Amino acid sequence: MTFLNAILLFGLAAAAIPLIIHLLHRSRFRVVKWAAMQFLEIHQRTQRRRIRIEQLLLLLIRCLIPAVLALLMARPVLTGLRALLGAAKTSTVVLLDNSYSMDIGTKNRNTFTEARDAAGQLIRHLGRGSEVSVVLMGGVPAPLLDEPTFNTDRAARELAALQTGYGSANVPAALDLGLGILGKMHEVQRELILVSDFQKISWRERDDVERARLAGLLKKLPINPTVTFMHVGREDRNNVSVQSLDFSRMLLGVGQKFQVRANLKNHGDAAYGDLRVYFRVDGTERAAAQLALGPNEAGQVLFTHTFETAGSHVIEVNADAPDALKSDNSLLASVPVLEKLPVLIINGKPGREPLEGETDFLEIALRPFQNAKGNLTDLITTRVIEPHQMDASVFKDVRVAVLANVAQLQEHQLKALEAFVKAGGGLLIFPGSRVDTAWWNRAFAAEGRGLLPCPLAALEGGLEDNAAHSTVLMQHFEHPALQIFNDPRNGDLSTANIRLWYKLNTAAFQALEKQTGSISNAWKNSASNAVPFVLARLSTGDPFLVERGYGEGSVVLCGVPCSAEWSNLPMRPCYLPLLQQLVTYLAAKFDPPRNVEIGRPLVAVLPAALGGKQVELSDPAGRKVKLDVTAGGGRALAHFADTRRPGLYILALPDQTLLHFVVNAARAESDLAQLSSDEIAGVAKPFDATVVRSWDEYRQLEQRRRYGRDFWRPLLWTLLGLIFAELWLQQRIGRIKR
Amino acid sequence: MADVAQMLTPADLRKIANLQVLARLVVEGFCSGLHTSPHKGFSVEFREHRQYVQGDEIRRLDWKVFGKTDRLYIREYEEETNLRATLLVDVSGSMNYAGSGVSKYTYAIHLAACLAYLMLRQQDSVGLVTFDQKLRQHIPPRSRPSHLQVLLDALQGTQPGGETEIASVFHQLVPKIHRRGLLIIFSDCFGDVSELLTALAHFRHAHHEIIIFQIWDPDELEFPFQQWTRFDSLEHETQQRLIDPVQLRSIYMENLARFRKELKDGCHRHRIDLVPMLTNQPYAEALAYYLARRTKTV
Repeated sequence: MTFLNAILLFGLAAAAIPLIIHLLHRSRFRVVKWAAMQFLEIHQRTQRRRIRIEQLLLLLIRCLIPAVLALLMARPVLTGLRALLGAAKTSTVVLLDNSYSMDIGTKNRNTFTEARDAAGQLIRHLGRGSEVSVVLMGGVPAPLLDEPTFNTDRAARELAALQTGYGSANVPAALDLGLGILGKMHEVQRELILVSDFQKISWRERDDVERARLAGLLKKLPINPTVTFMHVGREDRNNVSVQSLDFSRMLLGVGQKFQVRANLKNHGDAAYGDLRVYFRVDGTERAAAQLALGPNEAGQVLFTHTFETAGSHVIEVNADAPDALKSDNSLLASVPVLEKLPVLIINGKPGREPLEGETDFLEIALRPFQNAKGNLTDLITTRVIEPHQMDASVFKDVRVAVLANVAQLQEHQLKALEAFVKAGGGLLIFPGSRVDTAWWNRAFAAEGRGLLPCPLAALEGGLEDNAAHSTVLMQHFEHPALQIFNDPRNGDLSTANIRLWYKLNTAAFQALEKQTGSISNAWKNSASNAVPFVLARLSTGDPFLVERGYGEGSVVLCGVPCSAEWSNLPMRPCYLPLLQQLVTYLAAKFDPPRNVEIGRPLVAVLPAALGGKQVELSDPAGRKVKLDVTAGGGRALAHFADTRRPGLYILALPDQTLLHFVVNAARAESDLAQLSSDEIAGVAKPFDATVVRSWDEYRQLEQRRRYGRDFWRPLLWTLLGLIFAELWLQQRIGRIKR
Repeated sequence: MADVAQMLTPADLRKIANLQVLARLVVEGFCSGLHTSPHKGFSVEFREHRQYVQGDEIRRLDWKVFGKTDRLYIREYEEETNLRATLLVDVSGSMNYAGSGVSKYTYAIHLAACLAYLMLRQQDSVGLVTFDQKLRQHIPPRSRPSHLQVLLDALQGTQPGGETEIASVFHQLVPKIHRRGLLIIFSDCFGDVSELLTALAHFRHAHHEIIIFQIWDPDELEFPFQQWTRFDSLEHETQQRLIDPVQLRSIYMENLARFRKELKDGCHRHRIDLVPMLTNQPYAEALAYYLARRTKTV
């Protein structure tokens, strides 16, 4: 504790004044000749004691009044520990929420600019020589500057240039990062300031444990930072967002009908009677629809489009709603349109008669329109070869290869096939009557290092009518290739009668280690590891379809042949969608996804010829970045990791071809409900954080922390209390009991 | 010689003249006259002769004297003397306290003089007793108008001093007042309440009617002292107390209230009229008020 007017502390001597007055009065008495002496006697001991106590108390209060007054005028200031530390240099980490919910307001004056300006003020007002780091909380939290800087001006400049719209805020990750940075900073006084709109969705209860852990971590830091939560912006729940786009196809060819289903949600309490929803392709409006959305209602709009040209296209669904947050009113998607999807079929048992060959049904299923002579177009083109025709050259431009009832392959043929899959190709394997099981299990499976996802164990069932037959087990399919069958209108796999099948030993390679990750593993699902994944099972429990990743590509093995020799599967309506789905799935895996979530890397597969060269990527803000193209595995890859900003990224190849990538933010952020002040106080509590609403409030708080708290107010109350107590006591002493 | 006019201002006399002091109990034997006797104009006791003047009733002529002396005389009789009142005035040192106005003693003798005058005008007989710790003076009751002067002289002649011992004095006094009558006590009654009440009961036992005019100085009831004060006793010179009156006031007031309550209850019990009188209260007015109340109750 210090005093601003320490000299006035001499006033404490005034405490003696009442005592002196008392003694003075006692010595200067007057004399009265008195008759009623008998009433002056104090008869009871309690009376005597009471008088003495009251007298002492009164004297004490009277002495205290000038003492407190002197103290008050000396302006005491409670400073605590920080005053001892003295220096105004601090290490400060500012966690700035730049999620897209901060976009509420007009373009020039929204919650984010408020937060950004507050953070800027804060950095500019740090003491000379202070160290600062700014962490942006949106999407994948990342520091604004690579290292904490002592150059606060530079940090403030960088901050001022910031834009919002960086996905949804990840509070625990940002706090984690902030604490990590704070731990490495140098100054003795440390501060952690979190500037956010405290959206409910960013402070979910399920993160409580994580936040509690971080709070524990914070307390364990060698120097405890002062934590401040700055709540910016006002709640305005009136918001409509385009939540997601669903596509009817995984792969799209020129001339094919393409359906986009847009899911919209109204997060607020306002109703939209005729919400206009626009559908744009490559920036041109192609369709519009009207939708009524009540409060908190979700709705869907369906758009259909046919692409005339192959290549990369961008579609956009835009809801024209007069709501608080505009940035989630439209959703983009990149749609690669293929000219053709070439599939190579290796037929191990060609037939002479129609539909007698092993792959005849397969061909029809993959190219239904061509055979039907309809005016619709097939995406898939097929080329059928026999095993002896197979060499490395046949895989040129092929995206998926189908191996049907092939007895065995030559050494060089196997190598070529392995190279094809390793480079990202898809392989679909059907067994059959000609299969050389011994070779398959030895060379083709190769102890788990080969292409075959799992060894063939034995033939099950029988061709006889009285043998135990099987069907495909209908269940809820999680695999993207089979999800279509979750809707019974798309066909029922269980209608096929399977008489003879290969039991697949999926347990064989379970023990193998997971494949070490390559760049593109990030966008693959669980099938990318070495353990075979069972897509569907037969009613006997044996696997029907098994998938396993191999290199950049993927292999799907079926326990049943694709011909009608062992089962009537090819005769069933479900056969066509099944094959179409499997092939397009495998082909789609050939390309890394064009629509990714924030923070996920963008990977582009480019012609091998571009290996070692550079391509140019422009981000949503229009900035251009040169990317190095790395060659490997028969193709070239361009890789871009800094996708914190959602929007359209355009990769321009040297031959002027454009590849579009869309980075989308999770739409959970569109629910603009904010935490109430009580709830904010609740989340602030584990961190011992002080909650402020503005930069001014923070400055006052900081002033108090740094220079201590003015203590005059409680002292004034004490003084008033003493005066009242004195009055009361005096009244009480002079009071007559009746 | 004290002048009646000095003690009883004409204004006071005018106010009191219309009121009558009425005895509550009719003293046996002398109950005729103004109070309750139906024999108006007649009297039992011869008083004096006086010469006839024109306008006197012829029937009241003393024919025997006319026969002897050939002169006309009117017989006058002693009329309606049925109240024997004794004024007991406390002249102890404590009565000497004077705050801002007159002393309690002065007030007491003024009040006594008023009453004496009033009662003598009514032909009642009035006696006087002054006392402190012992009996100082005892003038038996007389009803002659000239007796007033005797009483006033006696009152004027005393000086207050000495201690209060009301109880013992009263016990001494009981056998000296033979015929029962009205006792009017002028005192502050300081001292032991129970002893005082015992003495009063003694009087009551002898069938005396008692009125106590308890004389108070306003200072004694309000205790208005603020600064440190040494209170010196008026009765005992050695008794002194140096106190902060503000501190002690509540205690003083408690003691005072207890004393007054005890006295009031005791008086009520013995059917004694206790009338507190303040020295700043116009005594004549207070007296008139009291007498009016007394009339009503009879």
